[in-house]
This record gives sequence, structure tokens and C-alpha cells, in this order.
Amino acid sequence: MARSLAGFIRGLTLGVLTGGVLAVTVGLTGCIAAGPFEAQKPVSVVSREDGSGTRSTFVDLFDIVEKTPEGGKKDRTTKEAVIANQTGIMMTHIDGNTHSIGYISLGSLNDTVKALEIDGIMPSPAAVKEGNYPVSRSFYVATKGDPTGLTKDFIDFILSAEGQDVVGKGYIALDDSAPAYTGDRPGGRIVIAGSSSVTPVMEKLKEAYQALNTSAVIEIQMTDSSSGMTSAIEGTCDIGMSSRALKESELEDLKPAKIALDGIAIIVNKKNPITSLTQAQVKSIFTGETKRWDAVLL
Amino acid sequence: MKNLGRIGRSRAPMAGSSQMPGSPQMPGSPQMPGSPQMPGSPQMPGSPQMPGNIQMSGNTRRFSETCMAVATWAAACLTLGILVFLVGFILVRGIPYITPSLFAFTYTSDNVSLMPALISTLFMTVLALLIAVPFGVFSAIYLVEYARRGNKFVSFVRTTTETLSGIPSIVYGLFGLLFFVTFLGWGFSVLAGAFTLAIMILPLVMRSSEEALKAVPDAYREGAFGLGAGRLRTVFRIVIPPAMPGILAGIILAVGRIVGETAALIYTAGTVAQIPASPAQSARTLSVHMYALTSEGFYMNEGYATAVVLLVLVVLINTGSAMLAKRIGRGRKG
Amino acid sequence: MGCGAAMNALREKVMRGVFMTAALVSILAVALICVFLFANGLPVLGKIGIFNFLLGQEWSPADDPQVFGILPMILGSLYVTAGAIVVGVPIGILTAVFLARVCPAKMYAMIKPGIDLLAGIPSVVYGFFGMAVIVPLAGNSILAASLLLGVMILPTIITLAESSLRAVPQSYYEGALALGAGHYRSVFRILLPAAKSGILAAVILGIGRAIGETMAVIMVAGNQARIPGSPFQGVRTLTANIVIEMGYAAEMHREALIATGVVLFVFILLINLSFSALKRRMD
Repeated sequence: MARSLAGFIRGLTLGVLTGGVLAVTVGLTGCIAAGPFEAQKPVSVVSREDGSGTRSTFVDLFDIVEKTPEGGKKDRTTKEAVIANQTGIMMTHIDGNTHSIGYISLGSLNDTVKALEIDGIMPSPAAVKEGNYPVSRSFYVATKGDPTGLTKDFIDFILSAEGQDVVGKGYIALDDSAPAYTGDRPGGRIVIAGSSSVTPVMEKLKEAYQALNTSAVIEIQMTDSSSGMTSAIEGTCDIGMSSRALKESELEDLKPAKIALDGIAIIVNKKNPITSLTQAQVKSIFTGETKRWDAVLL
Repeated sequence: MKNLGRIGRSRAPMAGSSQMPGSPQMPGSPQMPGSPQMPGSPQMPGSPQMPGNIQMSGNTRRFSETCMAVATWAAACLTLGILVFLVGFILVRGIPYITPSLFAFTYTSDNVSLMPALISTLFMTVLALLIAVPFGVFSAIYLVEYARRGNKFVSFVRTTTETLSGIPSIVYGLFGLLFFVTFLGWGFSVLAGAFTLAIMILPLVMRSSEEALKAVPDAYREGAFGLGAGRLRTVFRIVIPPAMPGILAGIILAVGRIVGETAALIYTAGTVAQIPASPAQSARTLSVHMYALTSEGFYMNEGYATAVVLLVLVVLINTGSAMLAKRIGRGRKG
Repeated sequence: MGCGAAMNALREKVMRGVFMTAALVSILAVALICVFLFANGLPVLGKIGIFNFLLGQEWSPADDPQVFGILPMILGSLYVTAGAIVVGVPIGILTAVFLARVCPAKMYAMIKPGIDLLAGIPSVVYGFFGMAVIVPLAGNSILAASLLLGVMILPTIITLAESSLRAVPQSYYEGALALGAGHYRSVFRILLPAAKSGILAAVILGIGRAIGETMAVIMVAGNQARIPGSPFQGVRTLTANIVIEMGYAAEMHREALIATGVVLFVFILLINLSFSALKRRMD
């Protein structure tokens, strides 16, 4: 009896201690995750990884890539930048760190983070389409040689009114006056591989297309722009997806087609009072010249 | 096992009393190899400076006992706290997003169903086990039942097995990409993934089978040989049956490893969210599914929901292996 | 009868061959892994220069000309692993002592499945936990990665250390008590030293797990390819370097990443070898 009582008491102690640890941790997390914004704190720069289509578009548009005197090029993104290899990771970082700044595809933007105006223009599908918002890019699909059969029909669908309608729901349609889809709906199986930025919209397109053409089997392999192009060249996939313009070496083998427009939103934590940056300021932050928030906050 | 777990229970958490815990179930063998002052005994973190002698003044002793008790209990509480917090975190984030549509039979970008991934996980697991288990168990049989103990070949195999078990999964992923996907030209496929995983779990299956076979008393074998049974017959009829629970427990551990793997699969099995029609097609397992869901930031909540399902799966697997382990214990006693 | 006996003998021989072949598979696997990694990773070392590769401090694959130096990543892996050991080993060993020698049986039955669960949680899940809980506290830093990895290696260390503590004969413990040592003193001064070879094995396995961990580390470590100046700065590990860039890499870059894998592989081999050497000396 005495023993079981002692055991009970010990169990209780352990339970209470565990509960205490839990409560303290939860409390602590709550507090610190909600740390206040202080303008004199250093900027925490978050970048995508080398090779990502989003990064290469970003560094090109903001002139962060510079030509070297020897004719090469150098990406001057600060070496102190945290590297997030996925959009989801990027957004979680920005959400969890009050003083951070990063960039994502406009299509992925949600209310966990805050998008900034660039040169006074808020990123929005309309602003990108009209060409006012300066940081935009196109999504491409590419095939080896001219597409045929199911591959051609699917690409025709993407570029048709129906396809562009699907694109317009999350991203930005190329053209509002595209012709209606009039394909012959061939059967078969194709593999699409490439950019993780294009993958979400491609999944929507695939579902809409398969509703029209039930005999088509389409597999989507999410990798990234560069390996998508490589797979298309090597023939391991039928269509490659890219979130950046194709390189010259890739254009030797591939036929690209522009399927959608996308903006790149510069995002900060929601507690950050800043609302707008100029292109020069963005460049200066991402190259590490501007180190503190008060330098860009007025 | 159980008895040992009970040793020292008569001590209250922080008590400094020097009362001796009883140990009624021990045979009275008071033999103590070596003096209590072990040379080079490591200084435990949290344990205070101690003079070498085991006997010392009551106060110091009480103090050092208390310190060690506090350190031990604190560490245990910390571990438990981390566990509770981690599991709680996942449950709190994930459970609200578990919906019936998450278990729909086909994946669409609206329901982001995990069903195809769940089925692919099963498919992948079965395939990897089909490849790894025969090799693992057979090589364990060779090492334990056939090879002479202390044989050079045996120690070489053992070294390679240890090497295999130390290789990080990303290196397996690289190898799978270079060999199965590219060199053999299988492309991103369930088959390439399963073979990569099979090599990864081979050492686990081998080690646990070896231990299980070794645990079978030699008397069994001698008895069978004495009755004129051949080696093969002895192995399959006499040695393997009692070793079965141990072998199965190892296999279940391997299943756990397969279910949790991501890095090795991204470059071998690919990420297509579908139920694979054949092993030559690409598919994603649950862990890869979770990774992919969160990649574009659209489906973070569904990602946590998937994590909950993964946790449940891990608990089921662990319970299975614990039950088997219990059966071994009972088998030995009986 | 004679025919049957001959059949039996043949069957014995064939099966013996089958078993032996199976035993060869693990050797074959290691050989294949070596051949393919080295064949794909080593040639590039000739082009870059082995010292430029191992001791180079800059990694800029996107630049023209490309620069491949993995010293920051080698140091990154070492720092993070050391940090994980500092965090995980004391807590792990103390918890193992608790489980093996202090914990009442009923509580043990409750805690043990928890430890097993901790071992079974996929690393992606750990990563998300780290990103949502540890990073807001510690930033993307060596510290955050060490804390997370320290937690991740806990179950490995606890389980192995516990079983090696249990393997120490009960008589050791009783002898210590008989000499007047208290309960904890007997455990810490007698049982722990007696179990040191098993505990060392636990620590080595923990090191292996920490150095090889990939998915979780990427999410908390920051992944900056430069030598960190303090534990509060981010760092990129060898594993992270491979996973982050493998998808994009082509030609020289791809080979450099495979060479990174080779370096990782050699690290693991060295750890294993030094461990077996240590074990031999201790026995």
C-alpha cells in the first residue's frame, strides 16, 4: 500500500513538473514569437537558394546580379542571408521573425505576411498585367521540338480561354481574349516536370483539362525549373515547367511557351510598420549594404 | 527486464536518506570485480566534485546524492516535457484540419488528399521489405548458423553492415539517383525508391535477425542435430520459429524507418501525387507528401494534419513491435 | 535412400550458397555506393583542386566563374554536431539512468513508448516544429540547429545507453551499496563507468544521426554558405548543401554536390573506424 502510494505521489510530481515545463514553453513561445518591432534592430534577410527560378528572377530584376570586369557575373546577395529552399519555409520564417524580409511568388501570398509596395505600387494581378508593378516574370512550359498529340492538345488547352481562366484564378492570365478550346482530346499519358512555383497552377490546369478529356493521364513531378528543363531535354518528361526565362543553352533543344504571368512580392513580418520600399532600397537590403531597419524607415 | 526496472523504486525523488533499497530477487553473489574507484570514470554533468573514496561524511554524501537525484529527475522531466510539447504542438496544429476530404481516394489540388500518399507508402514499404527481408534474414542465418565464429569474412560483413547503417539518408538518396534512376535508367519510380530504401534498412533487418537467432539456446540446435536433422532442417524448423518475434520486431523497426524517410526518396521515387499503377511509376510517400504540401506555402495546415496521421502511424508501428517484443519475453520464460 | 541423402546433401550445399550470397549483398551494396559516389564525385576534385574544394571558403555556384569551396559546410556540420552532442548527450544519459535505475515500473511502462515515439517521428515533422518553435526563440542559428538535433538524437542515446546500463550485472550495484554508497552514487560511480562502452556506442550513433540529418536542419539552420562567427549565426551543413541545390545542379555544380556527399561519406567512415578502434582498445 505504502509503496503504491509513494509511486502515485512520484507520478503526480512528474506529471506536475511536465505540465509546468509545457506551460512555460508554450508561454515562452507565445511571447517571443510575438516580439515587438524595433527599428534599430538589424534586418534579417531571407533569400531563396541559388538556382531557384524565383531567385534568379528576383536578382535579375533588382540588379543584384552584376557583371564582373572579366565578363562573368556575380550574385551579390549578402552571404548572411538565411536560405529558405521552399516558399512555405520562406513564409514561416518571415511570419516567425519580426525583423525579416524575403520574397515570394505573388500567387503564394497570403495573410500570414505583409507585401510591400515597390516604388509606390502595390503588387496585384492587375498591376502586373498592366505592367505597372516592376517585379514580374512569366511562367513557361517547354517541349523538345514541336509538341504533338496529347502534349500539344494540353498546351493548346492551357493557352485557350478555358485554360487562361484557370490561370487567372491564382495567377495572372496572359490574355483575356484567348480563343476557346477546340482540341481533339486525344488519349494517352504524359509527364510534366519542373518548377515548384508553376506546379500549383499546373495541377489546377490538369484537373480542368481532365474534366474535358477523360482519357488523358497527366503526371506532375514537382522539382524545379532547371531540372524540369533538363528532364525535357533528356526526354524523361514530355513538358518541362519553368518559372524563369529559358537559358540560351536550353533554347537550343526546347520550344518554350509562355503560359502565365506572375509577380514577385517583397514580404515582411506583419508587425513591421514599413509599407513601401524603392527598388534601390530593396537592392541595398539584399546586398547587405543596408543593415538596419531605421535606415529605410522614415 | 521488468524486475530491473523496479530497482531503486523505494527512493523518493529528492530524498537524501541513505536507506538501502531492497533487492529481494537477486541471487546472493556479492562478487565485485574491480575496486569501486574506477579509473577514468567519467565525470557526469550535474554530479558534483567527488573524492575518489566511496565512503565519506554524511553531509557530503547526502548533498551529492541529492544533486545526482535532482539531475536525473530534471533530465527525465525535460525529456518528457519535450515529448509532450512536441506531440501536443503537432496535434494542436493538425487535428483541426483533419477532414474527410483529406482521405479522398484521388488527389486534387482542392482536397490535397493524403490517401494516394498513404497507399503509396504501403506499396513502397511492402516492396522494400520484399527486397530487403530475404537478404537480411538469409545473411543473418549465414553469419550465425553457418560461418565459424571469429571468421574473417564474418567480421568483414559486420563492418560493412555497420558502415551501411551509418550512412546518412541523403547519401542513399544520391546513390539511388546515380545508380537506380540514372545508371539503370529506371527514372523516378517506386522501384528505384524501394531499392534505395531496401539497402538502407538492410543493416537493421540483418542486425535484429542476428540478435534473434543468437538468442536461441544452442541446446535447441544440439538436440536437433542429435536427432539426425540436417543443418537446413534445424535452421528452418527449430531455430527460426523461436527467433521469429525478434526478426519481426526488427522488420517493424524497418517499417518505421521507411515511413519516416524523406531525403532518400525525393531523388529516387519523385513526388507525383497519385496511386502508382506499376512500380515503374513515380509516387510520393506520406513524409514526402508532407514536405511537398508545405513547399509552396498553400497547404501548411494540411501539412500539419498529415503530420498527425504520420504520428498515428508511428504509434501503431511501435505498438506492434512492443507487442511482439513482449511475446519474445513470454516465449523465453515459458 | 542413398538418392535421398544425396538430394539432401545437395540441398544443404545449395542453400548454404544462397545464404552466403545473401551475406555478400551488404558488401556489394557498400561497394556499389563507393564506386558510384566516387566515380561521380572525384573527377571534379581534379578540376577544382582538392585543397580549393576542401579548404575554399566561398561557395557560389551561380556565379560566373563558379566557385566551389566547402570549408563553411564542413565546419557547419562539425559545429552543429558538436552542439547537438552538448545538448543531447547529458540529457540522454541522465534520462537513460532514470529509466534504467530510478523510474518505477508503472511509470516506465508509460514513458518508454513515449521515447519510442520520439524516435519514430519523421524528421520533416521535427523540422516544422523547430521552425515554428525554436527559430522564433533562437533565430536561424547554430544554436537552433543544435537544440533541435540535440532533441532528435535523444531517443537514440536514451535507448542504447539504457540497454547498456541494464546489461551491467546487478552484483556491481549491490556491491556498491554494501560498501555504503547511496543509490545514486552507486549508479553514477559504478554502473555508468561499467557501461561506458555501450554508452560510447550510443553517443557515436547519436553523432552519426546528427551529422547525417538533413530535412530538419535545413529548416532551422539558416543555410548561409559562409563561416559563422558565433553560435547565434546561421550555418549550412554538408547535408543541407546537397539537398538545397541538387535539384538545380548541372555539370560541374552537380559533381561538386556529389563530391560533398563523398566528403560526408568519408566522415561517417572515419567516425565508424575510430569507434571500432576505440572499442577494441576498451575491450
